[in-house]
Amino acid sequence: MDRNKQHRQVALMRQSLFDQGLLDEQFVQLEELQDDANPNFVEEVVTLFYRDSARLILNIDQALDKSPLDFAKLDGYMHQFKGSASSIGAKKVKSECTLFREYCKAGNGEGCKRTFQQLKKEYALLRKKLETYFQLARQVGPVETACRRI
Amino acid sequence: MEQQSKINNNEKSIQQGFSPSGCGDLISTRKFTALMVDNDPICQIIQKAILESQGVETQFVGSGIDALDLLATGANFDIIIIAWVLPMMNGVETTRQIRAMGIRRKLLAVTACFDERKKKAFLDAGVDEFIEKPLNPKKVASIMREMKND
Repeated sequence: MDRNKQHRQVALMRQSLFDQGLLDEQFVQLEELQDDANPNFVEEVVTLFYRDSARLILNIDQALDKSPLDFAKLDGYMHQFKGSASSIGAKKVKSECTLFREYCKAGNGEGCKRTFQQLKKEYALLRKKLETYFQLARQVGPVETACRRI
Repeated sequence: MEQQSKINNNEKSIQQGFSPSGCGDLISTRKFTALMVDNDPICQIIQKAILESQGVETQFVGSGIDALDLLATGANFDIIIIAWVLPMMNGVETTRQIRAMGIRRKLLAVTACFDERKKKAFLDAGVDEFIEKPLNPKKVASIMREMKND
């Protein structure tokens, strides 16, 4: 009974990530790629995303500290960041990336800086929520296990 | 009579896609191959997994120059997928040079950020199709179906 309750909790937690607009359909597509050979594919990819994108975040932070701003460079970094973020289904992060690029095109440094702060918040929030979700999902195990009669 | 019966049986086997030798092997399970030209590690992993889930054997290179070098060795791919942002030589120039080599295979451009200017540049350089990232299984399946019907 407890096991079923835990599974429901995992399912609700997962659904909330979509309801809050943090994730989109791409995340579901990644989940569908998981199988017995790659049961933790999504978690592995998300972990790699956060590890790899830390470098881009640092590059953008440093580029935003320079004067005058090199909008072409900033745009290039953000283009790459957006590609990875959209590949894992990070919906809000992706939106902030799009907004940032619009500010780059307009040559609006303040807009870029403001948007980047918001992007980092969304990025950190998603990371925290996904870590909690994956941790709980691992503890609870796959649905089939829970349903197996002992 | 016996010879004719054998011929009929062989034809029937071939129509059903089986080797007439009777060993049960499928004679036309064509495996498609893809070359992905993208230096983003997240996109590499995800796109490879998506392509392989659709039965496409995938090889990766991280730059346009590496792609040209590989193709120059005579390596053959059913589909070449090229990102916009690449080190040293961008996706558009890479496309141009691939077509200049006389390669007529399907070329697909993928980019994190759609804009008309980029799309036009890629199409003028010779890609067959232009897609905004993320590449998703449904899109890949649709491309594979088209290629199988060709």
